[in-house]
Amino acid sequence: MGGQNIEINGVTIDDTFAEAFGMTGTGVVITADSAKWAMQAAVTMTGFGTSVIGCGAECGIDRVLSPDETPDGRPGVRCLVFSFSPDMVAGQLKNRVGQCVLTSPGSACYNGLEAPQTIKLSTGIRYFGDGWQTAKKLGPRRFWRVPVMDGEFIVEDSVGITTEAVGGGNLLMLGTDRVGLLETCEAAVAAMAEVPDVITPFPGGIVRSGSKVGSKYKGVVASTNDAFCPTLRGAVQSELSADTLAVLEIVIDGLTAAAVADAMKAGIRAVTETGPAKGVTRISAGNYGGNLGQHHYHLKDLLP
Amino acid sequence: MSGLTLTLKSAPDRRLDLSGLTPKTLATLSPADIARLPLQCVAGAPTVGDLFALTGSTGERLVIAGGSDRFDFVGATLSEGTIVVEGAVGAFSAASMTGGRLEIAGDTGPGLGSGMRGGIVHVEGSTAESTGGVRAGERYGMRGGIIVVEGDIGPRAGDRMRRGTIIARKSFGDHAGARMMGGTLWAGERFGDEPGIQMRRGTLISPRIGRMLPTFGDGGVHDLVILRILSRDVAARLGPLAPHALPTKVRKFSGDLAIFGKGELLLTG
Repeated sequence: MGGQNIEINGVTIDDTFAEAFGMTGTGVVITADSAKWAMQAAVTMTGFGTSVIGCGAECGIDRVLSPDETPDGRPGVRCLVFSFSPDMVAGQLKNRVGQCVLTSPGSACYNGLEAPQTIKLSTGIRYFGDGWQTAKKLGPRRFWRVPVMDGEFIVEDSVGITTEAVGGGNLLMLGTDRVGLLETCEAAVAAMAEVPDVITPFPGGIVRSGSKVGSKYKGVVASTNDAFCPTLRGAVQSELSADTLAVLEIVIDGLTAAAVADAMKAGIRAVTETGPAKGVTRISAGNYGGNLGQHHYHLKDLLP
Repeated sequence: MSGLTLTLKSAPDRRLDLSGLTPKTLATLSPADIARLPLQCVAGAPTVGDLFALTGSTGERLVIAGGSDRFDFVGATLSEGTIVVEGAVGAFSAASMTGGRLEIAGDTGPGLGSGMRGGIVHVEGSTAESTGGVRAGERYGMRGGIIVVEGDIGPRAGDRMRRGTIIARKSFGDHAGARMMGGTLWAGERFGDEPGIQMRRGTLISPRIGRMLPTFGDGGVHDLVILRILSRDVAARLGPLAPHALPTKVRKFSGDLAIFGKGELLLTG
């Protein structure tokens, strides 16, 4: 914490900042014969995509698309995938689309980000067709048709990619009631979901195991954020007041720095509108002293 | 929209090459310079001024008021802007066209869109043989763009075609899609006899056909997502010119199996 904290509707906003990192991001559109199966494929593809450190990519669902918004006129879902480099994103797409979308009944997978730079989406996946795959180029877009047991899996040849994406925007919510805190964070995640081009990659958008860099153990790159663990209060240099029972974090990745800022604003607004009624007392953010991440989101600049 | 109009003074007495007349190539020329442009590559060739009266100013649109089946290569080098021909044209219109729009009010000669790579061609009449087909000395036929023909399309359309879409509001002649290597032929009413002969890849779509080749295998009825994409793509690019969306289920024939082709003939009727 730095200077003067601010209180809004009974919730204290720390005078601190979230420290976020430059990442590479892309988007894919998944469609299916029904909204249910488009969502099923999207949920499966974005699973195990919470942290780039352990999962290879941070993935999530940006929004549900109406049939009018998809290339094939069927219900769709837009998913975002973030990693460290275009090559890493390409590898993740190959595995995730190949194992989770190709396999999902009735699905198809298209480019979900118009951008000057592109990477291949179909490489590897189309060869599942064992020589029977064919391409159809319509205008600038090439679609691969891979024969599968329920018809054809359509996968677009390329997807747009941006190296201007941001990962690791975050808010820490502190409260005196764990259930109430969780409900408040759910409302914040729902508000952030309305912001385009962002995802909250952790389970339900919420993290209970915030981390710090490093560990007492050799080879462990991250460990529990002891300063925000309530049960360690009294044993470590704690950031928590005596009445804080639980802390939850929302991590935000976005295709642009502005999108992450907008999502953080939406989250703060949702929490402060609820106020302390459900036990939320304070909003803070995680940083590393400002020396690691290129993007600093000061909470005082994001107030409703 | 600014534009230049070339009004035909009298019917030409020989075949003419109009490939040099596009909005882009004329944009930097004065009316006098345009009038001096030759319309053939031979000594003593007639000039634009000999054949046409010039009105208006150069811009994004070029109107040729009055057509002739001796106007060859109309729009052949078109890359941007619009050419409107208020009449018929000769051979190889839109050949090598890469963008823009060519509107032809009448019929066309052979080889329309041969080697075409992009843009939209709209023909209000009918077209002769080898629409989108390969030209002598070339390796491929049409390689991109969309051709829409309100009338009928002549025989052997799409010969060695590689990409792009050709739509006939009515019918294609015999041997449509011969030696086809990609792209789409889409008939509103029917194909003639033996469509897809020796086709390797590509898509032929029609409610009906004439005589079916014995080397096409009946694959039964399918719900193909790619047809939804195709319908939406042409609707987005053609607007009111787009045909009705394809049905969700079609009967698929694979061929030409005589050459282990991966092409498809889709019957919508």
